[in-house]
Amino acid sequence: MAFWTTLLIIHGLLAVALLGAITHQAVSAWMPVRSKAGNFVTRFRAVPSTSYVTAIIVLYVVTFVMGAWIYTQYRFTSRLALEQLRFFKTVGVFEMKEHVATIGMILLPAYWAFWRQPLSEDYAAARKNVTLLLAIIVWANFLVGHIANNARGFGS
Amino acid sequence: MMASSKLAVFTIVFGVAYAAIYVISTELNLPLLTYHPVIGEVDFLWTPERRGPAMYWYGWMLTSLIGAVVLAWIASAVPEAWVQRVILFGCLAAVAYLALYALALFIYDKATVELEFLKSRSLSVVAALVVAAAISFFAPTKWNQRLWPGWVCVVPIGALGVLAYYLTPYFTR
Repeated sequence: MAFWTTLLIIHGLLAVALLGAITHQAVSAWMPVRSKAGNFVTRFRAVPSTSYVTAIIVLYVVTFVMGAWIYTQYRFTSRLALEQLRFFKTVGVFEMKEHVATIGMILLPAYWAFWRQPLSEDYAAARKNVTLLLAIIVWANFLVGHIANNARGFGS
Repeated sequence: MMASSKLAVFTIVFGVAYAAIYVISTELNLPLLTYHPVIGEVDFLWTPERRGPAMYWYGWMLTSLIGAVVLAWIASAVPEAWVQRVILFGCLAAVAYLALYALALFIYDKATVELEFLKSRSLSVVAALVVAAAISFFAPTKWNQRLWPGWVCVVPIGALGVLAYYLTPYFTR
């Protein structure tokens, strides 16, 4: 069980890094600063969006693969316990998490194409939209993962 | 007007096709393989549970991956306007089906006489195809000149809506 718990913690830490990167990029893409950076919020928005692309793709793929691996253990340990405890809503949101994660994964090729240098004006709107959607997906899955783990995490 | 790059067409169609095929494979349960986590064995295509639960998620993703790669490859080889027309038609048909089938069921519930035919899915499918064909035919030409990049967000969001709807039994027990 220590192995799976360690894996889950690494999965969670990678998700935190991904969450930070995609939030930074989404905010700077949607609310770019036009003046010199001042307070914390302005500096948060002032990051160069393009520099996050590779990191976000790598973090998403690695986090996804680790999550898919942990999922095999969840399926016949935590999930069975959740069903026996009649925590059907928790099971339901976790089922949704697997679908949402898959949809996020399939956005990555287009996300990469839209952010390729030199940035194309043709894809300016699509670039912002796909980044925002990816950010929403990462946030949603991060929160759902926490809820499921709080309900019946590994080792509990 | 400049055409979109082949790479952009491939990636947009990949996302759109994957989302659509994924919804179909989850709802019709069409996994390319089945994983049995307790015994650590993998079977080809769908197989029932053996000593513990069976996992189909990996299989659904593989089914969708193969279908999406093939469709995206075809899309990047044909004229862009055709791809736009097909996606527009498909999305219109999907929305029309949802609206018409919901309307048919609503009328069936409220009607004072038995209108059994309204419960038929195939009737709504045919009606949706006709509506989609009509709207596609009369759509302004500029709608079909280039592949709209927004599909890569719209279709996956729609797919998530359908997937969420099918999970409602978990929240209503």
